[in-house]
Amino acid sequence: MTAHFPIAPKQKLQRAHGVLNISAQQDVGGVSRLKNLRQQGSYRAIFPRTISGNVEAVIINTAGGVTGGDNFSTTAVAHENAGLSLTTQAAERIYRAPDKTAGLMKTSLSVQKDAQMYWLPQETILFDGSRLKRRLDVDLHANAKFLMVEPLVFGREASGETLRSGALNDRVCIAIDAQPIYLDRIKLDGDIASQLGRTAIANGARAMANIVMVDPNAKPLLDQVRALLPACAGASLLGDTTLVVRILAADSFVLRTAIVPILTLLTNNAVPKNWRL
Amino acid sequence: MATGARIAMNTAIAPMTTDVLTLSQLLSPSFPVGAFAYSHGLETAINDGLIEDADSLQDWLLALLEQGSLRADAVLLNAAYGSADPLIDASARAFASSSERLMETDLQGAAFCETVLAVWGHDLGRLCYPVAVGGIAAKLDLDVELATAMYLQATLGNLIAAAMRLVPLGQVDGQKVQAALKPFCTEIAAQLRDATLDDLHNAAWMSDIVAMQHETQYSRIFRS
Repeated sequence: MTAHFPIAPKQKLQRAHGVLNISAQQDVGGVSRLKNLRQQGSYRAIFPRTISGNVEAVIINTAGGVTGGDNFSTTAVAHENAGLSLTTQAAERIYRAPDKTAGLMKTSLSVQKDAQMYWLPQETILFDGSRLKRRLDVDLHANAKFLMVEPLVFGREASGETLRSGALNDRVCIAIDAQPIYLDRIKLDGDIASQLGRTAIANGARAMANIVMVDPNAKPLLDQVRALLPACAGASLLGDTTLVVRILAADSFVLRTAIVPILTLLTNNAVPKNWRL
Repeated sequence: MATGARIAMNTAIAPMTTDVLTLSQLLSPSFPVGAFAYSHGLETAINDGLIEDADSLQDWLLALLEQGSLRADAVLLNAAYGSADPLIDASARAFASSSERLMETDLQGAAFCETVLAVWGHDLGRLCYPVAVGGIAAKLDLDVELATAMYLQATLGNLIAAAMRLVPLGQVDGQKVQAALKPFCTEIAAQLRDATLDDLHNAAWMSDIVAMQHETQYSRIFRS
């Protein structure tokens, strides 16, 4: 009397993917221009007019977020003497992964001789049950300038969203001529909110950002950056040219309030408009 | 039979005993790396009231062991034991989260390498501290799991000694914290056997922040 039911075929989940390739070069008149643009899948870029002289790209994820199994890839190059600024149109939401597969976000940036790049995405918000694997690889020429921020928000407690489960595997590597000069790696699993409660980890904070600037003129900026820091933050200099800042904040808004004045200083008042408070 | 078993057991134990003696020399507070001068940011954490007694000190150190800089050191030690790739030392430097953290690992490592060269004749070059310890453990063919556990225990001992100078924490309380953390040293050393650079990560951001803030702390007795 054993009934044989056909096993339902495993439903294939809809996966989003996006590919974005952007490069900027300097034209004969000394102005930075878009050289190449390739956009595929759920990634788009728009280029608002700016007065900074940099090519400013705003990345849009038309899928509206990232979930398990999604695959997003960004490649950007600032060719010799060019200036390229990249940001995102909105905070990136990382939604619950329906199975145990992580969403993948891979970014490769290259800044050539005497070129400058800003990598200033808005917040990445991890929702309960989200799984994200992220890689940011930055390859710099010894005479290149680079500024980045990566704000991470762990759940949204104001909306009752606590990060009780999830996985984050994040790596930032900045190298000059293939030699790593800055390496940051985060691996958090399980009840992330509880882990953030530990004093030496985040002392209960739910938002964190690191800011890194590689610039021959970084050293004199250290004291100015320190003067802008909130209580739960620190700044330091690695070597003479790498300025690092780490900020912990109660939530996304408090974090943003701390970040904007620092970026305003470090970009010489050229923070992308969508970053404004 | 019984005699044979005893002989076999003795030959199995003997190299391990030698390893323990070598490692306890290399990692002893009298080994001239100047470990006593560094608080790893504890001086600021204590100044700010984040650590105020034995319990909060133990919590703080356990977080560093499980998810922070001490775990990262153990990974680097194991990676350096398994390979002499210069990328390991370069990664250790790139992973240092602030200038005093870099100074701590660079200067202790340099002093360690100099002493090892003078005493054992092994030229490791100039390596960060855990990378140097992993390097000499490989050259002297010491057990890496034992080396890792003893490195963690020695580093904790130094930090507990620093804390005892800064908070009202008695000698006995300090030893209680050290004893309570011992099982984690052995557990992490076992977990990280054969670890590679891919196992390197850190989430002890508050610890990193106080280490940065220490650079501008008004009154201080430690170099980090």
